[in-house]
Formats: sequence, C-alpha cells, structure tokens
Amino acid sequence: MSLSSNKRLSILPGETGRFAGILSGFILLLAVLPILTMIVMSFSGASNLDFPPSSYSLQWYRAAWHTFVSPDASDVLSLGKAMTTSLLVACLTMVLATLVAVPAAYALVRCEFRGKALALQLMSLPLVFPMVVLGLALLLVFDSLPLQMSFSRLVIAHVILALPFVVKNCTAAMLSIGSEVEEAAQMLGASPQRAILDVVVPLMKSGILAGMLLAFIVSFNEFTVTYFLYTIDVMTVPIWMYSRTVSSLDPTVFSFAVLIVLIDFVLIWALEKLVGEGGVSF
Amino acid sequence: MTGLILENVDKHYGTACAVKDVNLHLPEGKLVCFIGPSGCGKTTLLRMIAGLETLSGGEIRLDGEDIGQTPAHLRNFGMVFQSLALFPHMTVGENIAYPLKLRGVGKVEQQARVVELLQLIQLSAMIDRPVSKLSGGQRQRVAIARAIAARPKILLLDEPLSALDAKLRESMQVEIRQLQQRLNITTIMVTHDQREAMTMADIVVVLGEHRVQQVGTPIEIYRHPANEFVADFIGSGNIFPATVLGGGRVGLPGGESIEVPSCAGVAAGQQVRMLVRPEDLQLSAPEATAGNRLLGTVTFVRDIGSTIETIVECSGVSFTALSTPCQGIGLGVGHAVSVTIPAQACRLL
Repeated sequence: MSLSSNKRLSILPGETGRFAGILSGFILLLAVLPILTMIVMSFSGASNLDFPPSSYSLQWYRAAWHTFVSPDASDVLSLGKAMTTSLLVACLTMVLATLVAVPAAYALVRCEFRGKALALQLMSLPLVFPMVVLGLALLLVFDSLPLQMSFSRLVIAHVILALPFVVKNCTAAMLSIGSEVEEAAQMLGASPQRAILDVVVPLMKSGILAGMLLAFIVSFNEFTVTYFLYTIDVMTVPIWMYSRTVSSLDPTVFSFAVLIVLIDFVLIWALEKLVGEGGVSF
Repeated sequence: MTGLILENVDKHYGTACAVKDVNLHLPEGKLVCFIGPSGCGKTTLLRMIAGLETLSGGEIRLDGEDIGQTPAHLRNFGMVFQSLALFPHMTVGENIAYPLKLRGVGKVEQQARVVELLQLIQLSAMIDRPVSKLSGGQRQRVAIARAIAARPKILLLDEPLSALDAKLRESMQVEIRQLQQRLNITTIMVTHDQREAMTMADIVVVLGEHRVQQVGTPIEIYRHPANEFVADFIGSGNIFPATVLGGGRVGLPGGESIEVPSCAGVAAGQQVRMLVRPEDLQLSAPEATAGNRLLGTVTFVRDIGSTIETIVECSGVSFTALSTPCQGIGLGVGHAVSVTIPAQACRLL
C-alpha cells in the first residue's frame, strides 16, 4: 500500500479542518449579528424601524446628542439622570459585591465547615434562577418593608446578581495561593489577619479586579430585575432606553446603544488586559 | 533548663494518630534532624513546634517557658518551608525585610540588615529582583535569609532541599551547616534523606510509627541502633535471625555458627536478631569454612561505579556485601565465595 506523503488523510491535533472553520465563522456571525444590526440602524436616514434602512444619515446621533444636552419636557426622565443612577448603582454594586466576595472566597477555599457544598450551590443560584421570578420576588420583599428604598433596592438586587461572578473569580484566584505562603507570613511575625492582608489579598489581586469589572458590567447592563424594582424618579439607562423605545419608536436608542456597547467593549478589553489569558471566568 | 523541651507531646486527628508521646530535649545551638519514613509524623511534630498545629496533649517548653499555646506569629521562630513559600509579589529585598517591617524596625535599619544578610548568602546583586527571576538555589538562600532576618530563637527547616538536584543539594547542605554554626542558632530540620541527616546533624531523632525510636549522634544511630526499626531505616543492613548457643557463639538458620562476643550475656537457646553492615563484610576466594569465614554462593552482583554490591546466599541468610572496585575479585552470579563476618561488627538487636 502506498500512502503519499504530500497528501494527508487526517488532520493533526491543533489543526482545524474546513468544516470546523465554517462552523465557527457561522457561530461568530450569530453572536455579532444583533450588534451589527444595531450599528446599521443607528445610521438610518428614515424615521421608522424598518431593516435595512432606506437611506443613511447621522440624524439619530444628532437627536441623541440633543436629548442628552437639553432633555425634552415630555421625557419622563432625562438620560443624564438615568446615566448618573446607572453609574452610581454599578459602582456601589462593584464595591459591595467585592467586599462580600473576597472573604467568602477565602472561607470557601481555606476553611472546612458544615454546609460548604450547600453554600457553594446557593452562591450560584442567581445564575440559574429565572430573572422575572427573581425580580418579582424582590419587589414583594421590598414592598413589604416599611422603608422607602427606591435607590438602595436596585443596589441590593444588583449585588445579588453580580455576586456569583465575583465569588467565582475570587475563588479561582484563591485556589492558586498555597496555604504555605500564609503560614510563612505568620512564622515571620504576622498575625493571621495581617497575613491575609499582606500576602493573600495582593496575590488575589487579578481575580479581585476581574470580579470588580464583571460586577460593574453586570450591573450596568441589567434590565429584567431592575424593571420590577425601578421607580419613576430612579431608573437606569437600560430602563430609560426601553421606555424611550416604547414611547417613541425611532432609532435614537440605537445610537445610544452603540455608545453603551463601546463602553462595554472597553471594559471587557480592560478586563482581559488586567487578568491576562485564562484569568476570567464568566 | 535551657533549650527546647517536648514533654509527652501527642497529636491526633479524630481517631487517627499522627504523633504519640514524644519526649525530647533539644539543647541550644545544635542542629537536630528529624528523620523517618513518610507519614511517621516528623512534619507534624515540626509544625507543632512552629505553632502551626495545635497540641492534642503534652507540653512544649522553651528555656523553661511553656509555649504550647502561643500562636505561631508570637513565637519568633524562623521557618523554611518545603515549597520555600517566598512571596511572589515582593522583591528579594522586600521578602527579607518583611519580618523586620512587622516588628516596626526603621527603614534605614531594615535596609542595613537586608544588605548584611544578602552579603551572607552572597546575593547582594539580587536585592531588587522579583523572586520569580531566581534559580532554585538562590531562592533557597533567600528563604533562609528571610527566616533568620529577625534573629529567631529557633530555625525550623521542613525538607528545604528536597526540590534541588543532587549536586546543588550537597553544596547547600554544607552552606546551611556553616551558617548554622556561625550564627550558633538552634535548628531543627526535617528530612527523609539519611545522608543529609548524617552529614549535617549534631543530633538525629529517628521517628517511626508516630513515635521517637532513637535519639543520638549520627554515629551512635548508625553504629548502635536501638532497635530493628532504626537498624533497618538508617543505612542498609543485613538483619538476620540467629539462635544464641552460649559461650559467645550464635547459630545461623543454615546450621553454621559464628563467634559474636557481645552475645555472651544472653541465655543459650534464645532466638535473637542480628545486624551486620554491608561494608563490614569481607569477600574472598572460596575456602573451607573456618571461624567467622563462611562459604556461600553469589546470587546477584551490581556494580554502581564507586562500589560493587554483591548478594551472597550463605547458611540460609542473604548477605549484602559492599566492596570497592579494587577489592573486587571478579565475582559473577553462581560463583562460590567466602564471606568473613568480623565478630565485632555484629550487633544484637
């Protein structure tokens, strides 16, 4: 039998065949299709939402700018105020979720306690829980409280949603830290608490930063749960965009969305830069 | 009483026993080696002295003061871990300065001490390097410098050389020993490498089956093992059963007898176990059995360059004998050979 050397019958590990290439191209296209549609629509010259647009112009960007600088009296709430709320909620979520997640990750990795497996399960529950049910449940809880907490309840809800991501990243970082460095710090004279601050936290840094950025992104983009909890004077950007779309069906929101996607892109890029390859777990 | 004293020290995890009833007195300024097979509790014992494990029972006293319940960070002991546990986010200088920083030493003094220690370990040029840029031997020395930076009362070494290759390991053994003698610091080292223990220690503590089997100088341990466990674990030995015949003679399983003066005090007819070291056995051209010279057959020969190891089947016992290549008499498997067992080399276990 002759097996010619210049014509290989099989591909080597690590090489992709043509079929795999086409398939992954198709999947990638599916992933970016909505973003592409949105970008195309934001440059529409028409005043309706037909796709593809009949002509192209920058008029919606002009309209968006106009809405931003001099809000219409007919708008329920200005975009500027929604943006401020969104940023504030996202920042608070980021800080609070991290403050909870770092000790939690330490405990989950270092300590042995009863119900550890259960705690791990509960921690990722918000990932699989139906968002609508979660939003409704939170609304019922907050409404039964005698307190008026229109802003803080958004933060609490967002912390719940962001926590699994932050804990996961911190836990992954924690797993790579041997207990010997901590013990070494203690032998050198550091109290157990000091050892954690001087050695464990600095070594967890990349995981913590990844978790913080993810928490920010999760909070900034959150819609479903927020939809149940927002009030007329406290709303976030996604809610503002939704109500704007419902009230006046024009492509202005697409020009806003393009800007928001740009912000997200920068954040995710920063995340990858900070943590390097294989550091982030979503 | 000065030095470190362990009294009835116990450690168990649930029902599993790790260390049982350890009594030791470690004098000041000595290098003590804990040696034993894996899982014998030697690392657990070291970690209890360090304060990284709690005691299930017993007391640890340093210069008369009970330190059994003192937390690790208040004991002022230096420790070098098996993984070295250098802080990867700090430079060489910052690693060594860390214990000084914790003790509130001023910046200038910190710097002076770091420079002094780096000179001691001959790594002065590395002060601003991150520890990840160092070689294995350099890391080793930085770990030691960091451990002694705050002038600890005791230095603990947990198999610190196990990650190094053979050549580097030998030079580090000498370096650590010299450093220890220069600083005159009480040092406890855990190892499972008996050569390391023999060449470095003032005192060797043989641990086995969670207990102390013997405490002594390396030569005592080697020449006068307290029991069969120590005889078997330290060095290679020929351990064989024998019957005391009285009059300073013992009978071998094969029926022949040899002269062992040290057995004179043992009642005749008693079953005993004997030890003879391979390097004490002398091989010669086959001759008739006479005195302590027995006739045997070679069953295995291994030439490892520096020595030749020969196994000889002789009077129902498999003896391993070591000889140098120039003593070699060109033996092969199946050859007849005479084995001389010097009377004074036989130990009663």
